[in-house]
Amino acid sequence: MNGEIAKASITSDAQVVLALGEAPAFGVGDRIRILTRMPVGHYRVPRYVRGRSGIVEAVIEPTMIDNEAEAYGRNAGMRRHYYRIAVPMTELWPDYEGSPRDGLRIEVFETWLERI
Amino acid sequence: MGTEELLKRLPTDMGGLPADAIVRSEHDLLPWEKRCHALADVLDFHKIINTEEKRRGVEALGAEMVGKLSYYERWIAAFANILFAKGILSPADLARKMDEVEARWSATGS
Amino acid sequence: MSGPPDHPQHEHPHAPVGADEKPSYYDMMETAVRELLIERGLIGAGEIRRQIEVLDSRTPALGAKVVARAWVDPAFKQRLLADGRKACEEFGISFYDDTELIVLENTETVHNLIVCTLCSCYPRPVLGLPPDWYKLKPYRARAVSEPRAVLAEFGTHIPNGVDIHVSDSTAMVRYLVLPKRPANTETYSEETLAAMVTRDAMIGVVEVAAPTQEVT
Repeated sequence: MNGEIAKASITSDAQVVLALGEAPAFGVGDRIRILTRMPVGHYRVPRYVRGRSGIVEAVIEPTMIDNEAEAYGRNAGMRRHYYRIAVPMTELWPDYEGSPRDGLRIEVFETWLERI
Repeated sequence: MGTEELLKRLPTDMGGLPADAIVRSEHDLLPWEKRCHALADVLDFHKIINTEEKRRGVEALGAEMVGKLSYYERWIAAFANILFAKGILSPADLARKMDEVEARWSATGS
Repeated sequence: MSGPPDHPQHEHPHAPVGADEKPSYYDMMETAVRELLIERGLIGAGEIRRQIEVLDSRTPALGAKVVARAWVDPAFKQRLLADGRKACEEFGISFYDDTELIVLENTETVHNLIVCTLCSCYPRPVLGLPPDWYKLKPYRARAVSEPRAVLAEFGTHIPNGVDIHVSDSTAMVRYLVLPKRPANTETYSEETLAAMVTRDAMIGVVEVAAPTQEVT
């Protein structure tokens, strides 16, 4: 999976292996879909974007804690990237009134996205 | 008709739902509301109750309370519940202290 | 209509509470929780007092200063768009809640507005506390599904040739809209410009009004 094991040079002849999750799994311009998972209890991915596809507009740095786990008092732990996703309004609402170029921007945690 | 939707959609998840025209209401915070907001920030600084825990605590009040309590009323109710769950305060502690606060008011009128 | 109404009646302006009026149930609960936590050494009384001062010091005037600077100083604007929090920190605006800030520039082709559909995420360090309407169902439900109708309710009409981008805050990033600088303000001082920038323009529901008369 892209980014799971990535090698980056620090100098022209040093190679390092990044820890799992350190490198972003997705990059700007990637087409992604927001998963259709239905967790019981707390979530931070609203219902209206579930299952919608969009494009990564920005990779938010640095990695941060999964806010859905943070809600249960886990103030440290698995850090991954959040991504600012662009989703056209017409993708969200079949009867959208307005310009077809109107769009939503929303931050989504890496574990809620899949590449399409 | 199942009850699953009650679990699958948080009472606070309103994006895209039908709703009325916007009423441009504003109000200056009451003193207790401002203290409550300050309390939330201080609890977050200490990570006694972080901001995300507060959000979950409000959701966990359920649809009726989310609908009927005002914004800061939801916060303080959520804080009480979370503090109980963490064993930081007990319901008896809070009840006793609230009685004391009320008695103080009755005694002095302030 | 589904879901609770989010009781608009509780967000109407309150009459001031007189000294002889009994504190509400929730007011007493807040006092009790706070006193218990202080007694147990978990928080300090001074911390609450200080945080009230912090909150009182955060008003839309801070955001307006940042906007005015971005209008007159292109290099600052680039820094602001690259890292909103860092640029605000140049003004001494601290981000006590540890959030990040993305500044969204309104242009001839894009108009931005911000919302938090799940709760009330808002760039408090640089704008202060959000208005009630921002936290209630009508705005939160409809800003993401019919932004143009919502804008029209604020008296704002964006032509179809301009794209609307609605940013829904869900995590640690907060948003601030950098409104378009009105025409015919080239001679205006930074202070005068800042005085024109309203909170609602930095949420994105209105534009900054063009000047109607000569101002220095």
